[in-house]
Order: sequence, then C-alpha cells, then structure tokens
Amino acid sequence: MTDPLSLDPVLSPQERGRLPFNEDLPHDERFEHFEAHVLAGGKVESTDWMPDEYRTGVLRFVEMHANSELMGVLPEREWLMRAPTLRRKLALTAKVQDEVGHAQLLYRVAEDLGKPREAMFDDLLAGKTKFHNVFHYPTRSWADIGVIAWLVDAAAIVAQQALRDSSYAPYARTMKKICWEESVHIMHGRDVVVTMVTGTDEQRAMLQEALDRWWGPLMQMHGPRSPREKDRDLHWRIKAKTSEELRQEFLTIYVPRILELGLTLPDSELRRDDDLGEWRYTEPDWQELRTVVTNHGPKSQERLEFRRVSREETRWVRETILRAAGAAA
Amino acid sequence: MNAERTGDTANLDPTARLALGELLLSMADDEFVIGFSDSEWTGIAPLLEEDVAMSSLAQDEIGHAKALYELLAGLLDDGHDADAIAYDREPPDYRHCRLLDHPRGDWADTIARRFLYDTADAVRLEAVASASWAPLAELVGKIRREERYHVMHVGAWLERLALAGGEARVRLEDALERLAPDAATVFAPLRDEAALVAGGILAAPMNDLEARWRTMIGPTFERLRLTPPPPATEPERGRLDHTAAFEWLHSEFTSVRRLDPAATW
Repeated sequence: MTDPLSLDPVLSPQERGRLPFNEDLPHDERFEHFEAHVLAGGKVESTDWMPDEYRTGVLRFVEMHANSELMGVLPEREWLMRAPTLRRKLALTAKVQDEVGHAQLLYRVAEDLGKPREAMFDDLLAGKTKFHNVFHYPTRSWADIGVIAWLVDAAAIVAQQALRDSSYAPYARTMKKICWEESVHIMHGRDVVVTMVTGTDEQRAMLQEALDRWWGPLMQMHGPRSPREKDRDLHWRIKAKTSEELRQEFLTIYVPRILELGLTLPDSELRRDDDLGEWRYTEPDWQELRTVVTNHGPKSQERLEFRRVSREETRWVRETILRAAGAAA
Repeated sequence: MNAERTGDTANLDPTARLALGELLLSMADDEFVIGFSDSEWTGIAPLLEEDVAMSSLAQDEIGHAKALYELLAGLLDDGHDADAIAYDREPPDYRHCRLLDHPRGDWADTIARRFLYDTADAVRLEAVASASWAPLAELVGKIRREERYHVMHVGAWLERLALAGGEARVRLEDALERLAPDAATVFAPLRDEAALVAGGILAAPMNDLEARWRTMIGPTFERLRLTPPPPATEPERGRLDHTAAFEWLHSEFTSVRRLDPAATW
C-alpha cells in the first residue's frame, strides 16, 4: 500500500519559472521544451504553461474518471438501505462516501484545468461526456455488492495504480490517496464475497450468478486493444499502460483468486498461455461496450435521469449558498 | 441515592433493569433510524462536500446505534446479538421517537430534523453521562465527543437557511411546521423511568430534560425569528406508533437479511 502522505516534492514557483517551457518563448519552442520535459519523465503542475493538446487530454481523462466515481455511487447506493448487518451498513456507507470524495477530488483537479464543476455536471447529464461501462449495469442482489467492491474496484485499481506516476502531478497525487482507499474497498468486497461463498448453498449460488453477470463488463472495462504508438494519452504520459496490459494484469492477479474460492468463470477459452506469457480469452463484446458507454446501457438513462432529478431538487440549496457567498464578497 | 458506578447491574432492582433496557433501546433505535435517514443523502446531497459530511454523520449514528445495541445485548443476555436486535423486530416493536418517523423530505427537512434531534439528544446524553452503570457512562462519553460536531454542523445550516430569506427560509419554515410538533417526542416518558432516576442512571425525569432542552434552543429560535416547537401531542405514545415511512425503511433494511435470517452475511 502506498502511504498517501508520501507525496512528490513540489518545486517552488521560482524553480518552476525556470523550466524552459514556462519562459516567454515562441509557441513552437515552448511546445518542444514541454514535450521533452514530459517524455523525460518530468511532471506538470496546474500553474505551468502547457500545450492545448495536453490540457485537453488531461481534462478529458480526469473528467471521465470523476464522472465514473460520481455515477459509480448509484449502483451501490441502492443497497445502502439494505445492508444486512450493522457492520456491512457501516462499511458500505464508508465505501460509497469514499467514491463521492474521489469524485470531489477529481473534479477539483479538472476544475484547475479550466472547466467549472457545474459545466462538467451539465455535460455529463446531457450525455456529452462519458462514464465507465460498469456503472451502466443494474445491481440485482447483495452479491453484486461483493463483486463490485472486490472485482470492479480491483480492475479499476490496476488502472489507477499506473496513474500514480501520471505526468500531470495534481492527478498523480490524487491517485495516491485514491488507490490507498480503493485497496480498503477491495478488502471489504472480498470479505462480502468470502462470507457468501462459505455460507449457504443459496448464498453461494447468488454470488456465482453475480460473477457470471459481471464478467463480460469486467473484461470490457479496460477497452479494446489499441496500438501503443497511436495513443496520445500514453504519448503524453497521462497514463502509463495500454488497455491490454491492464486487462492482462487484472487476469494474472484475480483469476487465481477467484478460482481458489471454488467459483467458476463463464469463459471456456480463458487460460494462461505459458509460452506467450499471457492470458487467452474469448474476445469481449466490443459492440456492447460501445453501446453501453454511449449511454445506451441497461441502466444508463435511468441513472442519468435520477441524477438530473436530484440535482434539480437540490438546486435551491446551491443557489442559497452562492448568494450568501456573493453577498459576503 | 446514587449507586456507586459499576459495570454490573446486580445493584439495580428488576424494575430499574427493565427500564434501563427501555432507555438503551430507545436511544439505539433513534440513532439507527436517523443514521438511515442521513445515509439516504449519500450520493445525492446538494454539494459533494455536504455529501461526504452526511455520510460521516450516518456512520457516526450507526456506530452509536451498534454500540448501544451491544450494551443492550449484554444486559438482556438472551442470545440475541446487536444485529438481531437491530434488524429482526417487526415495525411496531421499534422504539425510536415520532420525530424520526417522517420521510427524508428535502434538505430543509433534513436540517430541521437534525437540529431538533441533535439538540434534544445532547440534553439526553448529558443526563446519562454520569450514569451509575459504568458501561453506559463510558460509551456516552465517547458519543458526546462526536455529537458536539453534529450540533455545530447542523446549527450552521439552520442559521444559513433561516437568514437566507426567500425560498430557503420558506422551505425551512415549512419543514419546521411538519417536524417541530413531534420534536419533544425525544423526551417521551419511558416506562418506569423513576426507577432509572432513583438508580442513578438518568439524572432527571424526561419531563425535566424537555424543559432543559427548551431553555437551550429558545435563544436560537428567537434570534432566527422561528416559532419554537409546540408540546408533543400524546407524548406517552411518542415512541409507539410508527408511520408508513418507517414501514418502507423497515422493508428495505430487512430485505437482504430476511432472505435467510439464519445465514451469516
């Protein structure tokens, strides 16, 4: 686990000012200096000069991450009222609280790149920006709570750990805190899963049914293979790993842990190819992924509408606060 | 009259012991139900910052409920653990007060409910802080440290809404009109509470605590030009009759557990 407090040292404003791309040079020279800085592993702060392509790329990436944390609250939120013991109620409330907190941290990172929070909510609710595929699906039983907290969060953490070294320093710092909290969610999820797997036959069947249902979306979650050299997010070191690298890493860690519990996976092709050193699997349904992330998933519209309604119902509170802040200024 | 503070209840007569059970159950059920109301805001509060705060409040309250149910389970010692007490009763057997039987409502309802409950709870907690039964006194010491912040948080919101004028003020007044008539049910008399007072568990009868609470909140209501809560109707039934809103909540929080009450979840 990463100590969330072990943050990278931040350069003083004077030192940052001496970075060549922060000097008053013609645009193309600045661009070259910036690119060289980033490709050599240098970090970028929100106050640095940065090319539009970089700013837009980071903003799009962080905004989608923030949207996913925010929308990711809804599938689990439905079960907050149904947690079957006091301990589970406390753990699930804490977990969902963390997700809201992550959304808040990430929207702040994105805000610093120039897009107001309300504009990001507007775009999310208008379907102009996206959120992760896994949050477009229904939760059908308490077993889903275990599978989501264990495996969806695990698949996410595999990606997020690789973001702790993102070239955009405010994002990298935020990811250190988020990864630490996500690792706690995985323990909570695994505990729910193990309790059900070692419980009654009905509980075990409920868990297996949930796993079967979530496996497809989990395999799609990191996205289709794409050539490393064409990926601009990789070029700018906003992220570090390709979709396929992340999926392989997830399978390497979690397939043995799933099988060890006596659970099965609904893919007869799934196996480790020791010669190639990688996992073989049935090609995920990429058409389903495209359909789902463009808000045509089974729960996409219902969840967006739920957010629209709750945002409207609480608008008066935000307006009250803003008016008071305006009057005080 | 105060018995020496001790961890066993052997020095309590049977009536006081039963009354202690009633007291613990009423406090625990209050915290349990308001904790659920708070967590209904998780994910949809007006501001992300407030969303995180409401989840913290919910966890504090459920945590307090859990600790109080555990004390009760130890006192009753009849094979029911805290979860069984919390989840396995029928709606009429819950003993939370009528104030907490209203549906979640809007943000103004939430602020009104929390202000009325948190201030009343603070008076009640003070009255058991020196309980002769050590486990309760120790737990209440811990609970009071957290509840202080709840009162500060909700007090700031009450003031903000009351002074904002316009829609916020109107909504707050409407919420108080709905909720304030039930506020004093936090102090609904407990069966045999005289035995608790005599046994050194409760510092004063509930009636006196209600008067203390009114003295405490009076200046705030006056300063904000809000109508103070009226006396509760049928105070003796203040913890007995539950509404459809609670029946919905009960059907939710028992829905998974009832799939197999004997299973481990």
